[in-house]
Amino acid sequence: MKNKVMKRKTRETLIAWSFMSVWVLGFLIFTMIPIFTSLYYSLSDVVLSGEGIIVTFTGFDNYAQVFSSAEGFNFLRSVSDFAIEILFKVPIITVFAIIIAVLLNQKIKARGFFRAIYFLPVIIASGPVISQLINQGAATIPQIEELGFINLINETFNEGLARPIANIFSELIVILWFSGVQILLFIAALQKIDKATYEAAMIDGAGVWESFWKITIPSLSSMVLVSVVFTIINLATFSENEAIQHIKNNMFALETGFGFSSAIAWLYFIVLAIILAVFFLIFKGFSKDRGRK
Amino acid sequence: MARSRFLGTKINPSRFHKSQIKYLLILSPLVAFMALPLIYIFNVAFKPLEELFFYPPRFFVQRFTFSNFVRLFSVTGASGIPMSRYLFNSIMVTVLVLFFSVLFSTMAGYALSKLHFKGKRIMNEINTVALMFVGVAVMIPRYLIVEQLGLIDNFFVHVLPYLAIPVGLFLVKQFIDQIPDELLDAARIDGASELQIYSKIILPLIKPAIATIVILSFQSVWNSADTSTVYINNDNLKTFAFYMNTLTSGTNGVAGQGMAAAASLIMFVPNFVIFLIMQSKVMDTMAHSGIK
Repeated sequence: MKNKVMKRKTRETLIAWSFMSVWVLGFLIFTMIPIFTSLYYSLSDVVLSGEGIIVTFTGFDNYAQVFSSAEGFNFLRSVSDFAIEILFKVPIITVFAIIIAVLLNQKIKARGFFRAIYFLPVIIASGPVISQLINQGAATIPQIEELGFINLINETFNEGLARPIANIFSELIVILWFSGVQILLFIAALQKIDKATYEAAMIDGAGVWESFWKITIPSLSSMVLVSVVFTIINLATFSENEAIQHIKNNMFALETGFGFSSAIAWLYFIVLAIILAVFFLIFKGFSKDRGRK
Repeated sequence: MARSRFLGTKINPSRFHKSQIKYLLILSPLVAFMALPLIYIFNVAFKPLEELFFYPPRFFVQRFTFSNFVRLFSVTGASGIPMSRYLFNSIMVTVLVLFFSVLFSTMAGYALSKLHFKGKRIMNEINTVALMFVGVAVMIPRYLIVEQLGLIDNFFVHVLPYLAIPVGLFLVKQFIDQIPDELLDAARIDGASELQIYSKIILPLIKPAIATIVILSFQSVWNSADTSTVYINNDNLKTFAFYMNTLTSGTNGVAGQGMAAAASLIMFVPNFVIFLIMQSKVMDTMAHSGIK
C-alpha cells in the first residue's frame, strides 16, 4: 500500500519535471547563469578589451565605490526615490484597478468597449510610444504645475519626500496606464464569485455597500498580492526607470565599467526584494484576517 | 469554437437601463485619459514641420500631412537591404517566439500550479525572485553564453533567449491556479493522462491568459531592437525594430520628433492590430469557462 503511494509520487514528480524541462532549461541558460555571472562580476573589476573580457576579482570594491562616488550617490538617490514612489504608486494602482474592475463587471452598455479601452494602455505602456510620450513631456498634467500644486507639496514636505511625491502627481496619468493587467486580474477574480452569494446576502438584509465590503473585497484578496507583485515588477523593470538608466549608462562608461554596473544592478535587485518582502508580509496578515482558506 | 464565439458576444448586455448611468458616468471620462496617448501619437505623426515648432504645443494636428513619413523613408537605403527583409525577419521571430513561449510557459505553469512534486515551492520562489532581476544587468553575461553556444549571427538568437521569460510563467500560473482541482480530479478518475488534462482541459480554460501573454510578449519581441544590436552583425538577419531605430537615431531636435513619432506609429500599428484581435478573448475572461 505504502509502496504504491510512493510510486505515484515519484511518477508525478517525473511528469511534472518533464512538463517543465524545456522551460527550466531555457531559464537556466539565459536567465539564471547570467544572473550569477553578474553577481561574480559585481565583485570584480571587468575590463572589456579587444581580446575579450578580463575579469579580476576585487571583493567589495565596486560596492564601496557605489557608496563613495558621485555616480553612486546619484544612483542611490534614484533608488530611494523609486522606493518611496512605489510605496505610493502600488496602493494607487491597486485601488484604481479594483474600482475599475468592479465597475467593468457591472452590467452596463458597451461593456466590451470599455474593457478594451481600459486594457489598451497595456500595449502603450511598454512600447516605443511611451518613451516618445515621456520624452516629449506629454505624459504629465501641465495644469498641476500651473496651479502651484507642486509648490504646495514642496512646502509641506521635506526635500527627500517632496520630490517623489511631486513626481507621483505629475505622472498620475502614467500611473493609471500601468493598471491594465491588474484590472484584468481583478475581473477574473470577480467573475469567480458566485452570484448566489450576493442573493443570499440580500435576503439576509445586506445592502450594496455591505455586500461590497463583505463579499467582493474578501474574494479579491487573493488577487491583491498577485497584482501588487506584478505592479512592482512592472514599474521596476520599466525601461524609462531612472535606476535602470544608471545601470545601462555605467555599463560601458570608462571610469566605472561593467563591474560597477553589475554591483548597482544587484543593489537595486536587493532593494526590490526587500520592498516585495514588505508587501508580502503586509498582505499575509491581511488575508489571514479575512480567514480565507 | 462556435460556443466561445457565441458567448463572446454576450459581454455586452443588450438593453440600456437607467441604473447603468452611474457606472457610465465614472467610466466615460477616464476613457479619454486611457485613449490619450494613442490620439497624441497619431496627431504628432501627421503634423507638418512648422506645427511641431508651435509654442505652446497644440494637441491636435491642424494641417494633416504625410511629410514625416516621406522624410522617414527618404533616409532609407544606407545598407542597401530592402525593408521587406527586415519585416520578414521580425515576423518570423515574433511568430516563433509567441508560439513556443506560450507552449513552454503553459506547460511549466500547469506543472507548477497543479502537480505535486519535489521542488515545486522552490521553483515558484525562484521564478518570483528572478522576475525582479533587471534585464539589462545580464546583458554581458548573456552575451558570453550566446557566444559560447555559437549563436552569434545566428537567426535563432532572436528566439531562444525569449522562450523562458519569468513574467509569462508568473501570469499563466496565476490563471491556472483559478481552475478548481476537482475538475482535474474528475478527469483523472475518468482515466485522462496528464498530457490530456493539459491539452483538453487546461489549455481551453486559460485562453484569456494565453491571449494576455500573446499581447504582452508580442509587445516585447516586436519592439525589441536589442538582440539585433548586440548579437547580430549580419545586416540580413536584423529586425524591423532595429531598422526603425537606425532611421530615427541620426536625427534629433523637433524635426526628428516628427519622424520619430511617425516611426513609432508604424511600429505601433501591429501591436494595435494584435490587441484588437486578442482583446475580445482576453475580456471573455473565465466567466463562462466552467470555472466558478
